[in-house]
Amino acid sequence: VQERFGNQSFRMERKTIDLEQGWDYMQTGITKLKRILEGLPEPQFDSEQYMMLYTTIYNMCTQKPPHDYSQQLYDKYREAFEEYINSTVLPALKEKHDEYMLRELVKRWSNHKVMVRWLSRFFYYLDRYFIARRSLPPLNEVGLTCFRDRVYNELHSKVKDAVIALVDKEREGEQIDRALLKNVLDIYVEIGMGQMERYEADFESFMLLDSASYYSRKASSWIQEDSCPDYMLKSEECLKKERERVAHYLHSSSEPKLVEKVQHELLVVYANQLLEKEHSGCRALLRDDKVDDLSRMYRLYHKIAKGLEPVANIFKQHVTAEGNALVQQAEDTATNQAANIASVQEQVLIRKVIELHDKYMVYVVECFQSHTLFHKALKEAFEIFCNKTVAGSSSAELLATFCDNILKKGGSEKLSDEAIEDTLEKVVKLLAYISDKDLFAEFYRKKLARRLLFDRSANDDHERSILTKLKQQCGGQFTSKMEGMVTDLTLARENQTSFEEYLGNNPAANPGIDLTVTVLTTGFWPSYKSFDINLPSEMVKCVEVFKGFYETKTKHRKLTWIYSLGTCHLNGKFDHKPIELVVSTYQAAVLLLFNTTDKLSYNDILTQLNLSHEDLVRLLHSLSCARYKILTKEPSTKTVSQTDSFEFNAKFTDRMRRIKIPLPPVDERKKVVEDVDKDRRYAIDAAIVRIMKSRKVLGHQQLVSECVEQLSRMFKPDIKAIKKRMEDLITRDYLERDKENPNMFRYLA
Amino acid sequence: MRETVKLISMEGFEFVIDREAAMVSQTIRSMLTSPGGFSESKEGVVTFPDISTTILEKICQYFYWSLQYSRGKETEFHIEPELTLELMMAANYLHT
Repeated sequence: VQERFGNQSFRMERKTIDLEQGWDYMQTGITKLKRILEGLPEPQFDSEQYMMLYTTIYNMCTQKPPHDYSQQLYDKYREAFEEYINSTVLPALKEKHDEYMLRELVKRWSNHKVMVRWLSRFFYYLDRYFIARRSLPPLNEVGLTCFRDRVYNELHSKVKDAVIALVDKEREGEQIDRALLKNVLDIYVEIGMGQMERYEADFESFMLLDSASYYSRKASSWIQEDSCPDYMLKSEECLKKERERVAHYLHSSSEPKLVEKVQHELLVVYANQLLEKEHSGCRALLRDDKVDDLSRMYRLYHKIAKGLEPVANIFKQHVTAEGNALVQQAEDTATNQAANIASVQEQVLIRKVIELHDKYMVYVVECFQSHTLFHKALKEAFEIFCNKTVAGSSSAELLATFCDNILKKGGSEKLSDEAIEDTLEKVVKLLAYISDKDLFAEFYRKKLARRLLFDRSANDDHERSILTKLKQQCGGQFTSKMEGMVTDLTLARENQTSFEEYLGNNPAANPGIDLTVTVLTTGFWPSYKSFDINLPSEMVKCVEVFKGFYETKTKHRKLTWIYSLGTCHLNGKFDHKPIELVVSTYQAAVLLLFNTTDKLSYNDILTQLNLSHEDLVRLLHSLSCARYKILTKEPSTKTVSQTDSFEFNAKFTDRMRRIKIPLPPVDERKKVVEDVDKDRRYAIDAAIVRIMKSRKVLGHQQLVSECVEQLSRMFKPDIKAIKKRMEDLITRDYLERDKENPNMFRYLA
Repeated sequence: MRETVKLISMEGFEFVIDREAAMVSQTIRSMLTSPGGFSESKEGVVTFPDISTTILEKICQYFYWSLQYSRGKETEFHIEPELTLELMMAANYLHT
């Protein structure tokens, strides 16, 4: 739409309004407006007046030059505000102070906005063309800028001081007018006209400084007077209050900055002193199970960068100390007490370690919200004390023994199925902390073998269940042999049935003695020492019969007989009453000698059976010097010597009809450790070769560290051992040293 | 809120139209929505000493046409050629 047209075509004639005249009229409107704002009795504008004022401006802007007064009106618009501010607004503000000044300011600002709204509507035509054409600040902005330049700039510092004084007053517990502060601070925001600059520079920065020093003062006295929990409560309360403060009257953008300042003064500056407070600090809280206080500590330090690290550290130290104390306790008990009580103590230790783990896992999950730092701390703590030896037994062995006790018949633990499952679950979790997992596997395997072979397993489901759990945690390779063992037994039972059928069909082959044979797959089972012995003829026949049967089933397998694991039931024809004796095969071999002779010397027996001294002494001791004296020894000393002689003790009797005569078990521990060491040498070799094959050339340090990493899932390899294996592989031409750099190794294909 | 507004031409002709129609004019809209504005007790009565009856009538028609158009009834608004210039002037004044 074009602005103007030639007058000729108009029927209407407008009288030209002269500037002074027009402005006088506008002035009446402005005066009326001022009276309304000042609260004087003055009726509101009606539509007539409104349109007249609007039209006056319109006409003065659409008149032909030189009567086009747009520029002058634009200037006079600004001057109207300036005049009002200088004559009325500023004086009213300057004569007041503190809270009164704030109230006046809020009122004046509100009025000013109303004034801008009205005047900009009357003068609106300027916004449409004049201002747009010349890219001048629009009417709204001009109005606000007047206030900013003349009022705000004069007073903002004084206002800021008054506001901060009120804030500190509220902090000290006094009631203040929050709505007033909100209105005042809204001015800082609005005066920025879209930018937060003024609010930040003229108010916020000072408020933050003041807040920091306020809390610094408070903190320095609280840290002396208060206990850690009390200090934390106060801090939490302060943070809560400050957040409320933001919600009530500060601008929301101040929240993170204010919180950071308060946190810094209360929690960061004094972190060390707070956590390390002697009787109420972190250590004490852990000691006294102050779960709520610890949760608070977590909440407070969680939001501070690196704030949780010292807490996690103290937690780790505490758990480690508790664990070490348990281990020490078990160690002390073991050295002071008899062997069997000591072993019970060792089992108690495992129980206690499990309980410790449960207890502090709850802490990690509940107090510390499952934060990774605390999971890590718990893990590292357990790794420290779970790998300590107690009275010569490694933790791996203790754990295996613990499992054995749960899984065997008549074990020391009498628990419900659920409790057993739960305990097994926890045991497997503990295994994660033990570095010598392969050692555990070997001890476990040995004990599993014993349970399976001597029918001492209490519950098949539990046996399978723990193998599943171990498989999940440590991988299939860990449990493959053990699973093989369990399967072997099932097959062995089927095999026995076939054997009995075979005997039924071949009565001539029958050895005349009930024979049960369990055939085991060599690779799955632990290796057993079995010393050669001259078997009595009855047993020799049994062996041959079974061999005959077995060859009908498979031709290409070799059977190796492990007599040390065999059991024999003999009928002892004693004077008083016959008693069934359950003995090992070796013991039976000794006793059967007395079927043909009444009395035998040590040497007789030695020659006839072809045994070593060590083994024979053990056997004879169990039959003549232990609880059940089946043989009488001459002389009847407590130990067996090579000059003794033995006789069948016809006078022997017992109230039971069947008795078991145990052989003291050989100490497995040494063998297990030896076997594991051997396997480790192979594992290290394999790892080195694997690494070198893929890398071709590698430096010494790197090779060692990669080796350690690869093997860490099963055990912690000894650095010396790795070096030794490397040398060995060099002599076997798997690797060579680089000629120029002896620290570099090369793979030889 | 009063539903109607009265617009008076230079000759004194009164046009009573819907408030909604009148607010098609930005100028009239600004006035009606001013703070301390025109409540039920006050009439929305506006006198236009510079606008003739013919033009004012046409403008009122335009208001209604504009409302219909914005509601989807897309017809043409016919302007008699002799009225064009005055109508444009009035439109500028009324910010329509």
